[in-house]
Amino acid sequence: MSSHREAPEISKDPVADSSDLYAFVSPDRPDTVTIIANYVPLQGPDGGPNFYEFGEDVLYEIHIDNTGNAQPDISYQFRLQSDLTNPDTFLYNTGPIQSLTDKTWNRRQVYSLTRVEHASKRVAVLGKKLPCPPCNIGPLSTPNYSALAGAAVSNLAGGISVFAGQRADGFYVDLWAIFDLGVLRPFQADHATFGLANTGLAKMATGINATEGVNVHTLALQMPITQLTRDGASPTDTTSPSSVVGVWTTASRQKAKVLNSNPAKNVETGPYVQISRLGNPLVNELLVPLSKKDHWNGQPPAHDKQFAGGVSNPELAQLLPVLYPGVFPNLAACNAASPNRAELLAILLTGIPSGVVPGFQNFTTHTQSDMLRLNMAIVPATKPSNLGLVGGDPAGFPNGRRIFDDVATIELRAVAGATLPLVDPSYKADAAAGAITPGLTSGATDLTAMGTESYLSSFPYLGEPYSGFVAAA
Amino acid sequence: MAPLSRRLFLIRSSMAAAAAGVAASVPGVVGTLGTTAADAPAADEAVTGADSETAELSEPLVAHIKDLSTGEISLFNGTREVVTHDPQLANQLFRAAR
Repeated sequence: MSSHREAPEISKDPVADSSDLYAFVSPDRPDTVTIIANYVPLQGPDGGPNFYEFGEDVLYEIHIDNTGNAQPDISYQFRLQSDLTNPDTFLYNTGPIQSLTDKTWNRRQVYSLTRVEHASKRVAVLGKKLPCPPCNIGPLSTPNYSALAGAAVSNLAGGISVFAGQRADGFYVDLWAIFDLGVLRPFQADHATFGLANTGLAKMATGINATEGVNVHTLALQMPITQLTRDGASPTDTTSPSSVVGVWTTASRQKAKVLNSNPAKNVETGPYVQISRLGNPLVNELLVPLSKKDHWNGQPPAHDKQFAGGVSNPELAQLLPVLYPGVFPNLAACNAASPNRAELLAILLTGIPSGVVPGFQNFTTHTQSDMLRLNMAIVPATKPSNLGLVGGDPAGFPNGRRIFDDVATIELRAVAGATLPLVDPSYKADAAAGAITPGLTSGATDLTAMGTESYLSSFPYLGEPYSGFVAAA
Repeated sequence: MAPLSRRLFLIRSSMAAAAAGVAASVPGVVGTLGTTAADAPAADEAVTGADSETAELSEPLVAHIKDLSTGEISLFNGTREVVTHDPQLANQLFRAAR
């Protein structure tokens, strides 16, 4: 998936497992940027009585590089606290939860938001005791969920809006198929099937969204663009380096933990150690070998040169011609020539410099570093393409990432060679490279991929979480 | 990051035994550490003298002996990690834990 359960160790620590990161100029407030970091992936909505929540022993951070050196210039820190209203009941709620202060809501979380400016070491607590909404349980427990979630959007000084709580997972991907040895249902009849007969793959099919019906826990921030730029200005020049920021999220735990039979007496101490990281979607998931994925999670972006080999010569690119014989002949020839895929290195690790795509750049640094790079001078599209830049829409991925961007298709096509001619005009991409898709949208203008129809048109943009009651019905 | 002296660590460790039940939870270790404290280098005396009357353990302190031969010990307190090298102390803690 984008980064759901992408590494062996972090997959066992879901509250610290970042699953998706989005950064885009807010379409309804284009003087602001929205950044969304999702954690606690693949939540079954009916997972009670202990419904999902953030880790109160986890430090969640969203980092901004606005000087192009792959180092954090600004960090936003979220620290959660869990409170129990009634210690004598096993129930999450003892009646309908009508408001965020309702005493029938037994297990709740609040959080603080802190902004750190690293150069000046200025630390500002932007909000304390900010409320999270409850999980969406059902028509009796959370009868007006929209109102509850809306009340959990906190508007802070300086024009900042923040939300922390459950949302529907907006990412879409056909997990059922792709991890069954690379099946893409729209192309499955061309799969080699390892010589197996009667696999049921003889006919092409449409994709199935594996994240339909599951929830995540979202940390969402919307702030004026002027609070993110290095000079405090609102960028208008798309060619200027100062218009571009790099964004990534991390989760950290304290280094030492001593367990007690009474968990309230557990001891956690020492400096925070980063255990989860996410910039561009699917980088750790697809381009880093299993043995290094958790190491990748613990590294800062500035150290990503050590992983560049998996980007410049991706294992998946080597596999595609093998899994789909005869479909990717030009990619196979490229693979045989010890490729150094400069276009993938640019898209994922440095940003795309000026001159590669006419009128576009999101280059930050020659320091190879996985960050979501957003050129904030590019205004939101009036007719967006879910294929982003490769669909002719520079306001979308890999210029940041919007919630509806079909990043699985975009990255599959890029790995398959569709973007290689950008840096090697002599290379002719295979026809399949421009058509390959998991098959979860009806086309590039489809912004309501299967199972994600509940996207919102305003902050926090991700849809209302699936109700456990409805999901079970 | 201010260094944590060996003497101060010993004092705080024994406090941790009572306050948090962490670093010195092995039976008898407090006494052992107390003996050790009396043998602390003179360089630590000023620190000890100043802190023994006033030091309070407001947060847990955890020690991780990484290497007995070099005496490398990581001390975790608050959001700090202090690494000290003291083979004698490391061995005393090791014996106390057996």
